[in-house]
Amino acid sequence: MDTKITLSKGYQYTTYVLMAVGAALIAYSFFTDHNRAWANLLLNNYMFLSIAIGASFFIALQYISQSGWSSMFKRIPEALMSYIPWAGIIMLLLYFGMHSIYHWTHEDALATDPIIQHKSPYLNIPFFFIRMVLFFIAWMVLTRLLRKASLAEDAHGGLGYFEKSEFYSKIHIFLLAITFSFATFDWIMSIDVHWFSTLFSLKNFVAAFYHGSATIVLIVIILHQKGYFKELNKSHLLDFSRYIFMLSIVWGYFAFSQFMLIWYGNIPEETEYFAHRWHSGFKVIFYVNFLINWFIPFVLLLPQALNKNINVLKYVAILLIAGQYLDLYEQIFPTVLHHVVFGLPEIGFFAGFAGLFLFIFGKALASAPLVPKNHPYLEESLHHHLH
Amino acid sequence: MSKNHLIGVFDDENALMAALHEVKAKGFEIWEVFTPYPMHEVIEAMGKKTRFTFAAFIYGFLGAAGVLAFMYYTAVIDWPINYGGKPTNAFPSFIVVTVVITILTVTLASLFTFSLRAKIYPGKAYILPDKRSTDDMFVMVFDKSVAKNAGSNLEDILREKGAIEVYEKELVTEI
Repeated sequence: MDTKITLSKGYQYTTYVLMAVGAALIAYSFFTDHNRAWANLLLNNYMFLSIAIGASFFIALQYISQSGWSSMFKRIPEALMSYIPWAGIIMLLLYFGMHSIYHWTHEDALATDPIIQHKSPYLNIPFFFIRMVLFFIAWMVLTRLLRKASLAEDAHGGLGYFEKSEFYSKIHIFLLAITFSFATFDWIMSIDVHWFSTLFSLKNFVAAFYHGSATIVLIVIILHQKGYFKELNKSHLLDFSRYIFMLSIVWGYFAFSQFMLIWYGNIPEETEYFAHRWHSGFKVIFYVNFLINWFIPFVLLLPQALNKNINVLKYVAILLIAGQYLDLYEQIFPTVLHHVVFGLPEIGFFAGFAGLFLFIFGKALASAPLVPKNHPYLEESLHHHLH
Repeated sequence: MSKNHLIGVFDDENALMAALHEVKAKGFEIWEVFTPYPMHEVIEAMGKKTRFTFAAFIYGFLGAAGVLAFMYYTAVIDWPINYGGKPTNAFPSFIVVTVVITILTVTLASLFTFSLRAKIYPGKAYILPDKRSTDDMFVMVFDKSVAKNAGSNLEDILREKGAIEVYEKELVTEI
């Protein structure tokens, strides 16, 4: 039970190679097409940030609902959360690429466009970065407090740390609802500056939770197959698959609601968003997005014979990480680049960010015992059994 | 009338499961098990399988296909109307109705299937061998005419596996 995980040489070298290849291709893509490079930077950083945010929401949800079953896995979301400060630093770099991504930062657009003028008290560069810094401070402080309480619980024990964590979780969920909504409005929705949707933040929040949960499930399963988490049983797997199944429905609900209301209302100011996303190659991505993020998880995790199967769950989780990339590609690329592109810059950015993410995650995971020691619900989690 | 049923009362679910496996292994036929909350292990241990989820899936599939076909027939084939310049086959707007009707179909059809299969209907007297199974006790019931003694004593097995009480009772199981 006392095991700290040791990162294998293979894992460490993989992260170094990914980061090195990524760095080379990122540099190359900034010299060739900087608009495309900035769009990729935003996409990948936001994607891994959303996984970290989703994981922090997952852990907070376990605390406020006093769920016992998941307590032995809580080091995984804790380690995933450690990407948030890094994401903050990289997000600040966006300052140099504002003109490539955000149309509202152009002086000539501001001078002639009444809609941008109307939105300028909120959408201006100084306020944009003030908000960004505030969001990241809020997330960093709360995830740090949760992590510290968790490590102190390992060292000293007692019920106090659990109660403290529960209190932090309440604040975290409350703040996350506000800050992450505005973050998605700022970073993603303002790319299409004329367009707005009130469902947008909810959809992206659910997507973050969905794909964060899928990442947790994937990592737990991989560690189990490598010999850790020996206590993982069918009941845990069923609970994990219920999470993914439930979230696939919620994701489908919000994504479809946003589309259907706009399609049905048929107002030009709103439909222009989907008009951009329905021409040429993007229309395929629009349908594949629903296929990967809703239909396949829904159908595969529906039958009882499949939803407790460890390999089915593993491949669904892998597919969902691709699904999150595709979902964000559909949100960012049509407006920034106007045509479907996929090549070395996309691969390089993804490799670089995946390497950085895995490097940070691995270090955080190895710095504490894999299974928490004095969590009040630990016994329940180790012998979890559903009726 | 004679006391035709044997009732074993347990205060612990693990004791109940141990006794259940033991009497099954000894070849006794269990008439019914009453528990304070649903237990899938009991159904599995009694060797019973349910096809109920499959039936529910079929109901849902038929409900969805049926309502989509109905809307397509009414809106496209029988009485096409141009509203808001949309195509008559306004598929995205059909989805909401489909979801709602599918849920309704599954709920009602499952309810009726369950009632038919379990022979439950409004006004039927409920068979409750031991009232404590609605509180905190696990109750295992044997039909004495079916559960023949297969070389060992049923009462002894139940007591040995932790039954806090074993007694015989007259039960009317058929109406």
